[in-house]
This record gives sequence, C-alpha cells and structure tokens, in this order.
Amino acid sequence: MPGTSRQQPSRRAMLNQLVAAAAALPLIRLLPAAPNDQHDEWVEIDGWILKRSDVA
Amino acid sequence: MIFDTFQAFRSAEFAPKVVIIGSGPAGITVARKLAAKGVAVAIFEAGGEQFSPQSQAFYDGKVIGDPYFELDDTRLRQLGGSSGHWGGWCRLLDAEDFQAKPWVADSGWPIARSDLEPFLAETGDILGLPPLQADAPLSKDIRWVHLIKSEPVRFGEKYRSELAASPNLALVLDTYVTALKGDGTQVSGFDVWSAGAPQGAYPCEYAVVATGGLENSRLLLWSNEQSAGAVVPHAAALGRYWMEHPHFQCGNAVLTDADSIATSDHNDAFFSPTWRAMERKQILNFGIRLIKMPYEGMKMLVANLACTAPGTAEWVSEGLGQRLKCAAQLHMAWEQAPTAENGVQLSHARRDAGGVPRIELVWRKNDLERRTLAEGIRLFGQTLAQADLGRVRIADWIAKLQDYPVEREELGGNHHMGGTRMGTDPTTSVVDRNGAVHGMRNLYVAGSSVFPTSGQCNPTMTIVALACRLGDHLVEKIAADEAVASVKGNDAPAGGDVIPTAGD
Repeated sequence: MPGTSRQQPSRRAMLNQLVAAAAALPLIRLLPAAPNDQHDEWVEIDGWILKRSDVA
Repeated sequence: MIFDTFQAFRSAEFAPKVVIIGSGPAGITVARKLAAKGVAVAIFEAGGEQFSPQSQAFYDGKVIGDPYFELDDTRLRQLGGSSGHWGGWCRLLDAEDFQAKPWVADSGWPIARSDLEPFLAETGDILGLPPLQADAPLSKDIRWVHLIKSEPVRFGEKYRSELAASPNLALVLDTYVTALKGDGTQVSGFDVWSAGAPQGAYPCEYAVVATGGLENSRLLLWSNEQSAGAVVPHAAALGRYWMEHPHFQCGNAVLTDADSIATSDHNDAFFSPTWRAMERKQILNFGIRLIKMPYEGMKMLVANLACTAPGTAEWVSEGLGQRLKCAAQLHMAWEQAPTAENGVQLSHARRDAGGVPRIELVWRKNDLERRTLAEGIRLFGQTLAQADLGRVRIADWIAKLQDYPVEREELGGNHHMGGTRMGTDPTTSVVDRNGAVHGMRNLYVAGSSVFPTSGQCNPTMTIVALACRLGDHLVEKIAADEAVASVKGNDAPAGGDVIPTAGD
C-alpha cells in the first residue's frame, strides 16, 4: 500500500522463530490427523478393506 | 369392457377419448385414473390375456455391445405387461436422483421428487405397500435405505375385473399398434394389426404410448420413419440415453455381530451413498444389497481366505474372535450414466410378423460406472470397518481390474429406462415434464422410458407414481381443451378426425 513499508526482521528474531518452531514439532504429532480421501487410513490386502490399525 | 379382438371392439362402436397403447403398470394406471373421472378410454394391448410364445416372438431383437438378456425374455407381451414377472421390489427414486449432478453429463429431471410425493399414498394403494421408512445414515458416506419387497402386483390379474366392469373403459386384446400417424403437431390415429393381419387405421383424439421401456422407443422411431418425422418432430434424443441397472456380486463381508446390521425377513439390507459421497468421489448413485449367509458360508469365506491370505485370515479370526458370527454376500446395482450412444435402433434386416423392424439395442457400461462400482464397494467397506461392524472383501474381478463377469443372472435388473426421456431441451429429451411429446398437442408417453436418469432403485414405484400424475394431468388437459373448443363453438378436436366420445 502507498505510504507503508514492510520492515525486514532482524537475524536474531528469525533465529528465535526457528527455535520456537522446532520446539512445537512434537506437539504437532498430537494433533488429530486430518481426514483424507486417499485411503491413507485404509489398506487393501488380498481384496480385504482393512483399517491401517488392523494390520499395525 | 374387455374385447378379445380389435374387430369385436370396432363392432361395439365404443368411442374413446383417449387411447392408451399398452396394458402394463403405466398404461393400466393412467387408464384407471381417466375412467374414474368419466373419461372414455381404450387400452390397446398387443398380446393376449395370458402369455403365449407366438405373442412373445414379436419381442425378439438383437443386443449390440455388452452382454444382456435376450430381448424376448426380459419383458412380457401380454395383459399386465412385464408386471407378470416383476419381483415386487419398491422404492421411489431419491430426491437427489432428480437433481442434476454437475459431474454427470445430461443428468437431472425437469421435475422434483416433491412433484411425485402427492401420489405416494395412491401409488402405495395400487402396489399394496406398507409405509415407507426414512433412510438412516450409517456414516458420512453411506446410508441404510428402505427397499420394500412387496407381494408383486400382476396388473392384469389384479385389475381385470375392474376393467371388465367399467363402462368408461375398453380393454382391447390382440390389438397391435404398428405405427402412429401425425402431422407434426398432433397424432390423428394408428395403424392396427390384429388377428394376424393389418386392420387399417383407427383414429384417436389423445394417445398415450405405454408399451414399455424398449417398445416405446421402437414404436415412435418406426412411426417417425413412416411419417417423415411427423410423430416426434424433435427426435434428436428419440431412442437414445437408454439405461439399465447393471447388477453384479461385488464382494463379501464378515460381520462382527450377526445383529449388528438389521436385515429384513429376506435376510438382506440395502445401502446407498450420500449425496456428499457421490459429489466428493464424482460418482453415480448405487445400491449395495447385503445378504447374510448361513454359518457354513462364513466358514467357507474364512477358509478361503486362509488359503490365499493366511495372515489376514488369522487377523480376522483372532482380531474378531468370538464376535465373528456372520458373513454376507454383497451385490451392487448402480445408476447408469445417461449416454446418448446407448439406445434403441430399428433393424434394417429383420421385421416382426406385423412388418415392424425389430429392435437393435446398443448398450454398454462406461468408465464412470466402473469407477462408481469400485469406489462404492470401498466406501461401504470403509464404513463397516470404521464402525467396527465388519470387514469387506472386494471381489477379485474388481480388485484386479478384470472385465465384468458374464453370468446371466447378474447382468441387469430387467429395468428398461430412457429412450423417450423427459426434459426441457428437445435436443436431449423427447417429452416434457408432463410426458407430452415435444411439439405434439395430444401425444403422451408413460413408463420408465421417460426417465432422464435411472437412480439406483427398482423403477416400478416411480413408474406408477408418474402414471398417477399423468392421469391427473390428462383429465385437466382434456377439460381445458374442451372448454376452449366450447368457447369457439366447436366441439370437434382441433384437427384430426371427428370422433364421438362415449359421453356424447
């Protein structure tokens, strides 16, 4: 927009953001998996339609 | 009144306002509606009161494309039409079946299910049905659906005495209408063949073609050919968009509890996709029939699995343990994509005894249908697994992407739909929302040939509901036409032959 400018973050600020993102990674695993339509949660073995947990 | 021959009918000098060609569920239903309102009506039935091989031979034809039933086996040419071998399965098409599916070309009806719902009670009386139960969702993708197995109504048997007693109705047997005559705006009469010989022309004021889902196309195609297009003036879709409900066994299931899925007295239950699932997967409607198998069948299924996949068999046995009590066969019938290439053609080489070209039926299943089959069984399997109701095994020929099995019993449902489909666009339809042939004042079509799309369920209930609606429409149309004629000071029908009616 006219009359505004975006200030570049400092190197230190960028480093802090990276550290925070790395720390959050284990938490992301706890989030429920998004539903998908690609059969990722299903496996077919010899024609049987099974939940992945059936064969884990 | 019942006449065994056309000659006897002519001698009686009964003058019908409406002639209905064909005495199947659609024809008899429209006729009864009209007669009850005092409209003089004649039903011309090409066959006799009972089945005969001689009459049935008129239905011989040829199939081009995928394997299908013999055309003289898949329908009946006799009083009551194909209700004589109907199985009794009843369900009205779903509300979603009337909607256009943006991912399916040429889909959608010009009417909604709500246009037929006022006739549900009447249809239920005609077919002797219990109240319909609402569908129940099983998952976001699959719903349990109520398909009624009724005591099949043989229309000829059920309504014979009523037809015989009605003073407004003449049932004329052994009367084969071989061609309609028209001028591009209305029909004026028919060529009739009876007692083994041509009987000349017979005039009409209003005509309803109700000869079945194959024969309607044949009669109108031949009539058009004989009249240079003056019977169906907008004929681009005539004979085309023909559909069936392909039927195949699509797999088996082991159920975790014999009572986990409620089944009917016939040991079966039916399932269909939700609109959301059809839209998300871009597929057609389908119906899965789950038929519980006896215990021996379950043991064979697991034993078979142990031979081919011991690990999975062990999982099935151990994982489900004592809850493994029941197995089931899974059969699927699906909505066929309406494609112009599938349809009824007239043979250039073969004619029946009345001189009418025999049918050549072009019929093929397409890729969208194959995808519907494959996605449908998987959606059902995932639903059972997700709810821990059981596990599904897809039939080998589906899992291994092989051709359809060629088993006579499993080819289709003997459901003949399309060919004179209903719509607003004359380039893709033949009749309007009321069943009137586009551009024709007094010519109507009844029966499943007017279906623009097939849905997944058996068509008879929808055929009868549509016929009830057409009957009411015709009563109003005739009254309106007579009012106009009265204002003009002319009681004669607009154009065509002058015919005294029974009420005159």
